[in-house]
Amino acid sequence: MIQVENITKQYTLSKKQRKELQTSSNSVSAVNNVSFICKPGSVFSLLGPNGAGKTTTLRMISTILTPSTGDIKVNDKSVVDSPQEVRKEIGFLTGSTNLYDRLTPGEIVKYFADLHNMDASIFKERKELLFEQLGINEFAKKRIGQLSTGMKQKVSIARSMIHDPSVVIFDEPTSGLDVITANSIIDLIRQCKKEGKTVIFSSHIMSEVDLLCDDLAIIAKGNLIFNDSMEAFRKQSEGKSLTEAFIDIVNQNN
Amino acid sequence: MKTILTVIKKEFTDTLRDKKTLFSAIILPALAMPLLLLGVTKLQQNLMDKEQAKQLKVALIDAPENLVSQFNDTTFLLVNNISQAGIKDSISNGSLDAVITFNPDFLEQISKLSSGGLKLYYKSTNLLVEKRIREKLDSYKAVIMDSRIKQLKISSETLEPLAISKIDIASPKEQIGKTIGGFIPYIFIIFCFMGCMYPALDLITGEKERGTIETLLTVPASRFKILIGKTITIALIGTSAALMTIAGMFVGLKFIDGIPPDFLTAINDILGLKFILMLFAMLIPLSVFFAGLLSAIVVRASSFKEAQSYVTPMTFLVIIPAMIALMPGVELNWQTVWIPILNIALATKEIIAGTIQYAHYLVVVGSLILLAILAVYLSLKQFSKETMVLK
Repeated sequence: MIQVENITKQYTLSKKQRKELQTSSNSVSAVNNVSFICKPGSVFSLLGPNGAGKTTTLRMISTILTPSTGDIKVNDKSVVDSPQEVRKEIGFLTGSTNLYDRLTPGEIVKYFADLHNMDASIFKERKELLFEQLGINEFAKKRIGQLSTGMKQKVSIARSMIHDPSVVIFDEPTSGLDVITANSIIDLIRQCKKEGKTVIFSSHIMSEVDLLCDDLAIIAKGNLIFNDSMEAFRKQSEGKSLTEAFIDIVNQNN
Repeated sequence: MKTILTVIKKEFTDTLRDKKTLFSAIILPALAMPLLLLGVTKLQQNLMDKEQAKQLKVALIDAPENLVSQFNDTTFLLVNNISQAGIKDSISNGSLDAVITFNPDFLEQISKLSSGGLKLYYKSTNLLVEKRIREKLDSYKAVIMDSRIKQLKISSETLEPLAISKIDIASPKEQIGKTIGGFIPYIFIIFCFMGCMYPALDLITGEKERGTIETLLTVPASRFKILIGKTITIALIGTSAALMTIAGMFVGLKFIDGIPPDFLTAINDILGLKFILMLFAMLIPLSVFFAGLLSAIVVRASSFKEAQSYVTPMTFLVIIPAMIALMPGVELNWQTVWIPILNIALATKEIIAGTIQYAHYLVVVGSLILLAILAVYLSLKQFSKETMVLK
């Protein structure tokens, strides 16, 4: 369970940034007073145009950033008070593969398992399962730099899931991927839901949202402009396509 | 501790597979000194041999007959008919190597037991010309001296009132310490810095540039432990670069021809356990200091290129104090002992010479440890800032 409670993220602007943004204000809000809940066994989608604050929100949930105000509870653990505890619960995956080119898939997964302080026997079992499921075994001994984007994304998935997190955060996980690789991510999200994990993902692709999502929130300019179930969103769209409905909502709040 | 070891293990595996780091931190330091020493000495020897064998074109104007006969060998070619006005041009354009003009009263002055005047024209940029001419003139001078001693019926000691016996009490170790002793720290400090530089760029800025830092920050390990793991890796690579330089230098010295056996014995003597331990005690905090400082700087950069532009000027800050230690008269004292880098360079010189004062040494090590702690603290402060670690 993820409980986002009135979070705000403000950045102090340098003189140069103030000049670039043509503002006299000393700070800027990337996320402004946002609240929502993601339930276990369901998929929550965070939507919004570029620069809306989606990635900032996901980074706060995954403890990379600390909220300026408000709090986020991940399985009742606060990202502000006990970020280390929260990190034990989460798995984080982005669309950009973000791996070490000179290491092999096996070495990368072992590194992250060790950082999660995993027991050796549990690690072995979990690694075998993930490598089998994702088909990593055939290139497990090759260095990442020699792998295709699709292979790299599979390794990214294994790295994010090795400690069997109960909460999984996907930040635009399919962006820039081919259809086959993107499909493996969609399958993973479904699998996570089936296993009762809490899943939150951000995306631009409405067809993916339609396919996977139980609940959704839309953020624009750092503000939450929609937060309800997918069912309610469909009803509100009044026969329009989901993309059109999304654009309407964003435009109404501009 | 387990987390730190995990980070070190991963960073070592990753870094040692990077050809650029491997070359700059291990291969180059190990080969630089042997190649430099062997190359320079061989080149110097070849040049000297060539210059020594070269036939010099010399003109002697108004020279006494018995001096001319001194130049009658195959290594000299005597050129005649040179006018006084054309001397400098002939030497400048290379048609002559040297010209000696004798005063018209030269022989008269010699016969009066006085000094005969002569002028030697040559280019100091032409190696060995002056030396070879002087050898001939010295032979001629010896003949005159001999004749004068006989004429005056005096002994040669009359013209040499001081009989000096030189007793050098400086041990070979001290001689090495005071001569090449300054060069050793100069080289290993630079290679230590370079050894830290590439891993720092790769492990800190590279992680930011690739975006891998983002996922690393979502694991249940503190930023402090991750940073310490990275700093230790960078420092160890810097230390090994410095050690490879020193090892390469000593191995190289053993392969150079013409080094006196005393000198080689002294080198073996220097390479004792005491020297190694004392050097290690300075080298480790120095590497940690470099690693911390570099990490604090490169974490501000979002690309490898930007980070390189930050650290390049730092190279000068390292080279300048190391170079000062090479200057004659700069000694380790209660003032220089506090100046970072200069102090380690001077202390190494003193350790090699065997003249180190332990109070000075302890201050050097203590100040290096303090600087290392401050540098790591500074890097941690930077690493803890969200805006620094994320692109």
